[in-house]
Amino acid sequence: MSTVLQARDLTRYYDVAQGLFKPAAQVKALNGVSFELTAGKTLAVVGESGCGKSTLARQLTLIEPPTAGSLLLEGQDAATASKAELKAMRTKVQMVFQNPYASLNPRQKIGTQLGEPLDINTSLSASEREERVRAMMTRVGLRPEHYYRYPHMFSGGQRQRIAIARAMMLNPRIVVADEPTSALDVSIQAQVLNLFMDLQEEFNTAYVFISHNLAVVEHVADELMVMYLGRAVEVGAKEKIYSRPLHPYTQALLSATPSIHPEDRRIKIKIHGELPSPLNPPSGCTFHKRCPFANERCQQEVPELRALDERMIACHHAENINS
Amino acid sequence: MSLLEIKNLSVEFGSQHNPFRAVEGLDLTVEQGEIVGIVGESGSGKSVTMMAMMGLLEGQGRIVADTLQFDGKDLLTISARERRKIVGKDIAMIFQDPMTSLNPSYTVGYQIMEVLKIHQGLRGAALKQRALELMEMVEIPAAASRLAAYPHQLSGGMSQRVVIAMAIACSPKLLIADEPTTALDVTIQAQIMDLLVNLQKSQNMALIMITHDLAVVAEVAHKVAVMYAGQVAEMAKVPGIFRKPAHPYTEALLKSIPEHSKGAHRLSTLAGIVPGQYDRPSGCLLSPRCPYVQDKCKAQRPGLTAIEGGVVRCHYPITAKEA
Repeated sequence: MSTVLQARDLTRYYDVAQGLFKPAAQVKALNGVSFELTAGKTLAVVGESGCGKSTLARQLTLIEPPTAGSLLLEGQDAATASKAELKAMRTKVQMVFQNPYASLNPRQKIGTQLGEPLDINTSLSASEREERVRAMMTRVGLRPEHYYRYPHMFSGGQRQRIAIARAMMLNPRIVVADEPTSALDVSIQAQVLNLFMDLQEEFNTAYVFISHNLAVVEHVADELMVMYLGRAVEVGAKEKIYSRPLHPYTQALLSATPSIHPEDRRIKIKIHGELPSPLNPPSGCTFHKRCPFANERCQQEVPELRALDERMIACHHAENINS
Repeated sequence: MSLLEIKNLSVEFGSQHNPFRAVEGLDLTVEQGEIVGIVGESGSGKSVTMMAMMGLLEGQGRIVADTLQFDGKDLLTISARERRKIVGKDIAMIFQDPMTSLNPSYTVGYQIMEVLKIHQGLRGAALKQRALELMEMVEIPAAASRLAAYPHQLSGGMSQRVVIAMAIACSPKLLIADEPTTALDVTIQAQIMDLLVNLQKSQNMALIMITHDLAVVAEVAHKVAVMYAGQVAEMAKVPGIFRKPAHPYTEALLKSIPEHSKGAHRLSTLAGIVPGQYDRPSGCLLSPRCPYVQDKCKAQRPGLTAIEGGVVRCHYPITAKEA
């Protein structure tokens, strides 16, 4: 088992202009997140909109440099790498986006779009590129005649297959998938998830799977990271967290997920309100305003991630509320 | 007498010579105070059915039906003026994306009051009072100050609450919710579903939930209609339909949900997609994708047959096979 990616205290702040004469405010979109990613395994990142999932994706794909912390990609730190080094590193991390209607170029044929990563990053000849593209198209379940078609001629599921094929063209070590199936119907979602699993087995790719659908996450993930307002609140093996979630936020997420057989569900906890504005996060534990177990300590003291019951958790009361 | 009675409804688009039947021979009855779920993949005709019933397809689609009755009124022969008195008052609808169903240039207070002005003739202080009451009914915090807010100042969940407030403004007898929570996070989805079900109970209205998420309807609905390519494939009571699906399509939909195949590496899938305008098979519409297909299925379209707790459109329903 080799570690392909290591994030330590990864932090990203954004400045937000408040007005002409006001000082810029700071959004702490990612506030010290650490994790490791193993080849051939899947890390799932879950949380509500605005919790920093997509900022994390932008960090991992090296689109933006981190404000602080380090990001080691096969031992090389992205925070200190030069431009040329970064360019080489970027070929190892690829991304699949939520909406394949928007992530494919409507004016380019599929063959051209799939060949582009090879054209830019390798010195293969045109015929070699076409051969590789056609092989990958067969691999993801597209027919040869699709080579000369445009994105609008495909269904949503097929378009997501094309987006996955494009991400896999350079045989990356890591694929970051940001809500890859949330725009698809359930039957198509199952087809696309199966494709993800097959490709992982074949190429030993590590996945970072960002989603808010916990049923999907349970199916694909090996490791799970639950995020809330830029911080990880519970990190650990999927089986551990799903069989016994300890953080109240994880419990709330699990009990909010609708189920075909609702009477089988054990946890019933409800949280009120919405995610607070990241511009003005609550003091102490950022979850305390919505947490049914919060007390004074939670309002003042930020809980650190600590080991408990074979996982990492950031909650002052984890032992009390779960005993 | 049923609140809503639809018999043999068909909706056609396109030219007279080459029409496309988006909905074909659909029967649906909704009783007062009943929650009915309509599920199916994209393109199965869920939304078109409801739009046809509300008269929102004028000029685009041709609507044919044996019966289309709401609350004793015949919606087929009704004049436009009379229809306007019903739609928005006795039948209200909530759409998927709250950001596009609210007018961005008016405050949410104005938009709620507009409904009350037109349908209930309220004016002045009484009007504002009622708008405030509605905002509180849908549990919007600090309702008084939110009346003057514009839609862009509200989060997705809050906007959806405003849309619901507008829909229930005139205490409708029937509320149609078209994918009301698809665009929202799970925790917010759970809150909105709770709200809808509570309102449905307190107002004793009928609720039609259109969704592609089977788990959502499994939690709240009394009866579910599964649609496929413009037809009802199966209609039965909850939870029977989820425990013992009779139609192969219902079974396939259930199997493709990750929740169903816990622990399995691959999800079971239904190959292919919903047939479009030009590739509808001559026999059973599901026959090219059905795992149990027989010769009779390819030649002859099945009609609806009664089963325990509902109806199914299949020559060889699954329960009959097992019995």
